[in-house]
Amino acid sequence: MKQTLITEQKVFEELKKAIVETLRSDEAAIKPESSLIKDLGAESLDFLDINYRLEQTFGIKMARHFILEHIEEMFGEGSAIDENGQLTEKAITLLKMRYGDVYGDLSGGIDMDTVPTLITAGSMTQGVLDLLDTLPETCSKCGNTAWKTEDGIRVKCGSCSEFATFTNGDDLIKNWLTAMQQEKKIF
Amino acid sequence: MVITGVGMVTPLGRNCDETFANAAQGRSGIDYITSFETTGLPCRIGGQVKDAWLTDPESDVRHRFGRFSSRGLRLMQTATLEAASQAGLETIIDRERVGVSLGSHGENVSVSEMSELLRFYDGNGHWDMRGLLSSCQYSPFQFFLRKPDTASSILSMLFDCRGSSLSIVSACAAGPQAIGEAYRIIQDRKADVMIAGGCEATLNFMGFIGFVLIKALAEKYTTPQTASRPFDRKRNGFVMSEGAGAVVLEDLDHARSRGANILGELLGYGSSADAYRITDTHPKAEGAFLAMAGALEDASLTADDIDYVNAHGTSTVQNDLVESLAIRRIFGERARSVPVSSNKSMMGHTIAAAGAIECILTLMGMHRSLILPTINYEHRDPKCDLDYVPNEARHMPYRRALSNSFGFGGQNACLCIGAFEE
Repeated sequence: MKQTLITEQKVFEELKKAIVETLRSDEAAIKPESSLIKDLGAESLDFLDINYRLEQTFGIKMARHFILEHIEEMFGEGSAIDENGQLTEKAITLLKMRYGDVYGDLSGGIDMDTVPTLITAGSMTQGVLDLLDTLPETCSKCGNTAWKTEDGIRVKCGSCSEFATFTNGDDLIKNWLTAMQQEKKIF
Repeated sequence: MVITGVGMVTPLGRNCDETFANAAQGRSGIDYITSFETTGLPCRIGGQVKDAWLTDPESDVRHRFGRFSSRGLRLMQTATLEAASQAGLETIIDRERVGVSLGSHGENVSVSEMSELLRFYDGNGHWDMRGLLSSCQYSPFQFFLRKPDTASSILSMLFDCRGSSLSIVSACAAGPQAIGEAYRIIQDRKADVMIAGGCEATLNFMGFIGFVLIKALAEKYTTPQTASRPFDRKRNGFVMSEGAGAVVLEDLDHARSRGANILGELLGYGSSADAYRITDTHPKAEGAFLAMAGALEDASLTADDIDYVNAHGTSTVQNDLVESLAIRRIFGERARSVPVSSNKSMMGHTIAAAGAIECILTLMGMHRSLILPTINYEHRDPKCDLDYVPNEARHMPYRRALSNSFGFGGQNACLCIGAFEE
């Protein structure tokens, strides 16, 4: 369900903390539009580090694979990336449907090797919010609907104090792709 | 500087000839891992060496070293026996002029060792030392297995080498750096002969899990044998393997004076660092370029003198892209007409052993006028546009080659190898 306990601003603040701890960046330099690779100097391993910190902070499990890998796995080789290493039209359509403009204007065609550079502080914030929005209606332990947060970060049951559990990031993408395929028959 | 003995044990064979023969047929040494339980892991394959191929320490008079010997060292002992026997190493009288230079890493702590230790730990920083010290289960010899220097030390004992004994720890660059540094020691007249090479045996849970977590291993494959696909557009990670490679390097005059059979020459060695990132490669291939250029300069050759490149070719997206770029930078307009192939397509990545094994296979190919193929090459990658000797070995005489090794962390080494010319 769409949750309102944890705000976008709070997620962005926590993300900035994770980025500063990982990359030793100047916090003031981190804007929603900052590319982690191009603007903040991240390397591939740093994403694992930042994701790990976010997982510890919010009690979520970030996706291990990017949406393009899931598309290839679910809809076959070549479905997301063509033989020249360019994103397919269908992959771009799905990226836009899923993430809106968060990855910028993709209409001119894009090389798969440049995809990681599209990841911004804003797109990562959105990724965390998407996971938080998988908050179940009721507590898995006591069955009550009494979610609350004391620190604006971790959601727990107001009735039994159990921490909320969220859908795993890879499952969230796969579920969404399955639903989109059923609805729009993209492939 | 000449090579008078070579030896190896790999997923493709118990020795040099068997490995080369299988590689020449384009066979893969990769299969599902049986050395530990891989259920649930996103990568369950690797290149294992058959236990039966290892020298049996019990049959050896020196078997008292067995309790200090990691699997890596046992592989290295097997490879070195082959190389030493070919070189007639035991006939050399002055043992103070014979040294060892080995690329290896200490053996990873085992899960059973950790479990045993944790029996004496309360989880809050306190140890039951009385219990631990009086336990019969925790062997004091574990300590030696963990240390990366033990293998070189024991190799020196096993083969009675009383000259320099070096332990090189630099991941994928360790094997060729060990050979390169041994070459320098002989050039500096500090030794006449060096046993040099590398060994790796990391197909265990603790060795494997780290590479799984950083997503470096091939996870998308239809069969184990087709997972390692260097330079192919569908490559998606490397395949971890174990093995060892040993060469006997020798001063030319020394080799001649004792009538040793000369197999080839080590012409040059280049070594560099990307000084960039811990896993990402330098986007302009700066470190890789420096290592290759360094090896050429050291050999007093230019790129025009090189007939073949034995690539690092790990089958990761980044390495193969950046290595192709480095080769283009070194060879310029000639780049597309120089054959480049990756032995890792067949045997996976033997990490510290890889460069040593590949240097030997390159030399063996020279003798046979045969360039080993890059197997599993099916989909052309527009960014990797060189001649990768796809899928079938190629008959072609060649006399000089480069062998590349570029490690995680940006440690790079390149060896320039040549046929022996009187």
